[in-house]
Amino acid sequence: MSDVVELTLPVKADLVVLARLTAATVASRANFDIEEIEDLRLAVDELCVSLVGDRSDGRMFLRFIRDDDQIEVEGTLQSGPGESGPGSAPGGLSERILDALVDDHGFDGQDGTPRAWLRKRRARQQA
Amino acid sequence: MVSVAGEVDVATAPALQTRLDEAIDRASPLVVADLSKVTFIDSTALGVLIGARERCAGAGMTMRLVVAEPRILKIFDITGLTELFDIRSTRAEAVQP
Repeated sequence: MSDVVELTLPVKADLVVLARLTAATVASRANFDIEEIEDLRLAVDELCVSLVGDRSDGRMFLRFIRDDDQIEVEGTLQSGPGESGPGSAPGGLSERILDALVDDHGFDGQDGTPRAWLRKRRARQQA
Repeated sequence: MVSVAGEVDVATAPALQTRLDEAIDRASPLVVADLSKVTFIDSTALGVLIGARERCAGAGMTMRLVVAEPRILKIFDITGLTELFDIRSTRAEAVQP
């Protein structure tokens, strides 16, 4: 059975740290090792940065879904007035980081609501 | 020498850019960014470092990084930036001719 943690943040650069903290805490509680926790922390940061782009208004919704051996993170953006748009897929550096640190990731901005997601499996078996 | 500590992300990268720009404006032949006390770095900060390196190269200056923490070095590695930057493990090594 999945555990779901939801976080809503104003789109402000100085609050992305809260997404990282949540990612690290959820991963820690799921018995990810230190390296995996750090990987997920950076991957969630990259997901948020890609999702937000150069926007400075609106709200970001994050869902952390913890299963037996993996964590999935979904992010969507509700833009502020005058800031609607298709969103942007991760750029070169973000793409490389996500490719290296998580098992799957994706981006969808077709319907005007940018959505990004990633999934990281735990390598180590639970004791 | 620009010394950086803590988490360098989308919120703090602009301050890093300001410090690097100031160092480059001083026009010394060598600019060193000491990242040995950095605990977190993301693509925004990496982009700032790439921009500073390009500015240095355009002005005929050399830019070096000090990276001591394996976790931070890993980020440079997975993004292919270990090939782009001159990375040293200590300040002493970074300031050598």
